[in-house]
Amino acid sequence: MDQQRARRRSRIGLAFIAPFGVLFTLTLIVPILYAAYLSLFQERLVGGNVFVGLANYGKLFQDPQFWDGVWRVVRFTLVQGPIMLVLAMALALALDSRRLHGARFLRASIFLPYAVPAIVSTLMWGFLLGVKYGLFGSLNEAAGTDLDPFTPGTTLISIGVMVTWAFTGFNMLIFYSALKAVPRELYEAAAIDGAGEFQVVRAIKLPALRGSLVVTVIFSIIGTFQMFNEPQILPSMVANSGVTTFYTPNLYAYHLAFTGSQQGYAAALALVMAALTIAVAYAVQVRGLRNASSQ
Amino acid sequence: MRLSRKVRLLSAALAAMLALTACSGGGTAGDGQVKITVWSWDGTVERAVPGFEAANPDIKVEVVNAGSSQDEYQALDNAIQAGSGVPDLVMFEYFAVPYFAIPGKLADLGEFGVDRLKPGFVPAAWSDVTVNGKVYALPSDYGPSAMFYNAATLKKAGVEEPPATWDEYYEAAKKVRALGDDYYIAQDTGDLFFLLSLIWQAGGRPFKVDGNKVHIDFTDAGTTKAVAFWQKMLDEGLINTKITGWSDDWNRALNDGTLATQTMGGWLTSTLPERAPDASGDFRVALMPQWQEGEKTGAANGGSAFGIPAAAEHKEAAFAFLEYFTHGDGLPTRVDAGAFVPSTSVLENEEYLSKENPYFGDQQVGTVLAEASEIVGSGWQFPPFFEWARSIYGDIASPYYTSGQGSLAEILEQWRQRCIQYGNEQGFQVD
Amino acid sequence: MPPASSRRLSTVDNPRKSTVLTAMTALFTLYCLLPLGWLVINATKSQADFVSTFGLAPGREFALWDNIAGVFTYQDGIFSRWLLNTVLYVVVGATVSTFLAALGGYALAKHDFTGKRVFLLVVLGSISVPGIALAIPQFLLFAQLGLTNTPWAILIPSFVNPFGLYLMWVFAAEAVPTGLLEAARIDGAGEFRTFLQIALPLLAPAGVTVLLFSFVSIWNNYFLPLIMLKDPAWYPLTVGIQQWNKLGSTAGNGALIQNLVITSALLTIVPLIIAFLGLQRYWQSGLSLGAVKG
Repeated sequence: MDQQRARRRSRIGLAFIAPFGVLFTLTLIVPILYAAYLSLFQERLVGGNVFVGLANYGKLFQDPQFWDGVWRVVRFTLVQGPIMLVLAMALALALDSRRLHGARFLRASIFLPYAVPAIVSTLMWGFLLGVKYGLFGSLNEAAGTDLDPFTPGTTLISIGVMVTWAFTGFNMLIFYSALKAVPRELYEAAAIDGAGEFQVVRAIKLPALRGSLVVTVIFSIIGTFQMFNEPQILPSMVANSGVTTFYTPNLYAYHLAFTGSQQGYAAALALVMAALTIAVAYAVQVRGLRNASSQ
Repeated sequence: MRLSRKVRLLSAALAAMLALTACSGGGTAGDGQVKITVWSWDGTVERAVPGFEAANPDIKVEVVNAGSSQDEYQALDNAIQAGSGVPDLVMFEYFAVPYFAIPGKLADLGEFGVDRLKPGFVPAAWSDVTVNGKVYALPSDYGPSAMFYNAATLKKAGVEEPPATWDEYYEAAKKVRALGDDYYIAQDTGDLFFLLSLIWQAGGRPFKVDGNKVHIDFTDAGTTKAVAFWQKMLDEGLINTKITGWSDDWNRALNDGTLATQTMGGWLTSTLPERAPDASGDFRVALMPQWQEGEKTGAANGGSAFGIPAAAEHKEAAFAFLEYFTHGDGLPTRVDAGAFVPSTSVLENEEYLSKENPYFGDQQVGTVLAEASEIVGSGWQFPPFFEWARSIYGDIASPYYTSGQGSLAEILEQWRQRCIQYGNEQGFQVD
Repeated sequence: MPPASSRRLSTVDNPRKSTVLTAMTALFTLYCLLPLGWLVINATKSQADFVSTFGLAPGREFALWDNIAGVFTYQDGIFSRWLLNTVLYVVVGATVSTFLAALGGYALAKHDFTGKRVFLLVVLGSISVPGIALAIPQFLLFAQLGLTNTPWAILIPSFVNPFGLYLMWVFAAEAVPTGLLEAARIDGAGEFRTFLQIALPLLAPAGVTVLLFSFVSIWNNYFLPLIMLKDPAWYPLTVGIQQWNKLGSTAGNGALIQNLVITSALLTIVPLIIAFLGLQRYWQSGLSLGAVKG
């Protein structure tokens, strides 16, 4: 009887996940498989599609432009990721502490940048960081400095400013939700024990955030590894910012497929990039779980 | 949950609506009527539709903006590959025509007797749409290079007459620069089309295309002369290397007069008033400065043509409309809307030539541009993979413009090497 | 309860407001709002003023109403069509995807079936593939099905929200007590009814979070619609506005309508703000998120 029920439960489970699963297969799995198939070919303007086996992958591993892009997104993630997540956590803690005036307004405002589409935000930041006619230019004049946020050396930092602006609110919300789920009894017990504010934060709130930290780190890595919008829109606004057509791997794939008609090569790039991303995300997941379970 | 049920009902209703409306537009509308789809990011083509439909009641024309330039080319490639959604008439910049023509993606317009239309077009434009002896598109607008100059700024700098030769231009540049930190005679952040137009005018022909063979050489006499001149301008700091064309900063610099000249396609006449409204009355148009005193040659910088995809459904109807707005009665409405067309009938038309343009201080700009079209140097060719080549030019040129290390000649040589590599990979024979 | 602890409890529940903390948070909020301030200011400028005046200064004339009128009438009022399209995509897409995510997350949390771990790995792995490279294969697949250039090309991909699935899995594991489900089963309730009447209400606050994220991501979806649609009648706002933007920034004589682009950008953000404010109260009632167990 139990076995039957368990089997029935398992079938129900599958039935529940089926709608998602079917659509997921259609919209993601099949195209990925097709992309893998495409990656075995080379498209030529003269001669059509030619089967080249794994040659695209070989070429990719020796492609300095690809590795330049990879190294760039890794560097970016290592610096911008922690900054943004620490900020998000701090803000979530501040909002949760209930010690803020106008908390609802602040919360809504911090989330707002996430709602702005990339095209619009790049337009806005293009102005703000503009040196000739932009706000930065005025700041330079006022302070007597000569900083340019869009030189090859500083562009990545400027992009970091834009990305942090856009996503801190999103991550803050996830942390905030986690804090809101902490049972009241814990706070009451701490109050009875005479714990001060900082001790409460350290002993109750931070541990409560551990799980959501793993989630946000993973998704932050996946997101920045796929950076595309900012480097794609910037060159038409700012001259010689150092943004090349291979600035990030995703941008490189775009140019390969769309201006260079090299879909096979672009597909190989995407799959290798995905493998790299999964490897890193998985490593974080495992490490994060290990830390959580050692608690 | 009651709320989610309401919402689900609503979405079911919406989905039903969708199912009813989601039938794709067909090629036929009504009995015997043919509906053609035209892809164009040029807004003036649409103006010719009412007149055409009135004269051809059995053809319906739908003009759609499927993206600008590269976005549209990709969309066309996607549609052709998928075998569905291929439009009947597509807009191309001149350099994109060979890209689609060579692999046979465009219909040979000779089938529709296009040769009889040849006299109606400026010779240079006609050769732009001819690939391997066959015509694959009809020119619809043109960008003969001309010099747009801010007379007020030049006067302030002590330059009374617009420079007529490049040597005079060089002298004028020094005077403009002396006006102040922000003042320059022009900008360049790696503007490929400008450099090519300079080379073109000087007689350089770096690309020679013969069937599937492409020969690239940036060391011929004309190219070397042009490159050396512009190198001098850059070396002496006479050019603004921080403002990129078509950006917001560029609009503002034109507007406040700190960029004294622009040497680019004649189509700038229609968009400059929007970009630099405060400078109304200050700008004038003149021919490109010449290399030798008394010479008269020019180049082209952009412009577009329309072709019919080989996979299109309604080629006859498409050609009828094509002829109408590039060669026939559709022209006047487009010209009124600001299009600059390489059509001999328009360019020789008295009324057009004598029209005064208030933004340009009532100058008869038509006359200047018509002359500029006539003097475009012949024999220029683009390689068939130019779309790709121009997208990576920035990667190569940028480091030079930011660091000052290297030279234009080196950039061109590096670009040439990349083109050779890519072209050969793509199955051409490039050297 | 002794009076001493109740005094401390009231401090925990209603602490003294801190100006320092508020000021620091407000500083960050300023960083968030400044670009939006630019947007609002420049939506009030005409095209001529936009080019001639400093970004954060007001224009010479107040043109907000003209701009809004311009946005709705340009190109025969296609903006309204784009707005309706986006609403359609978002309402249908967010609702369906959140529901499917809830269904799936609930199954992953509360039912045992083979291949759960593999499934999760596959799901996470597929998000890691750069979307750009999938765009053309997706396009070709949908072209085979005859769905390109129709709203289905946008809707069907939007029904799949892997991040939402993951979140719902985690919420369901925490918030839905298995005991409650067992009780319902003993009472003879069908599985689906159990889900609808017991699990779903418990998942509601979390579902709202997923709904909001889904809403925003579909509203701002740009690349896939760009590839799938070639008929402006079906464009969402993002694609339409970017097209207007590209007109002025590509070499040639495309129209320069920066004032319309900025005003329309402002108009697109307004519904998102409204949605967020409307859904805010669900967070007041307390979310049951808990620690993520993966």
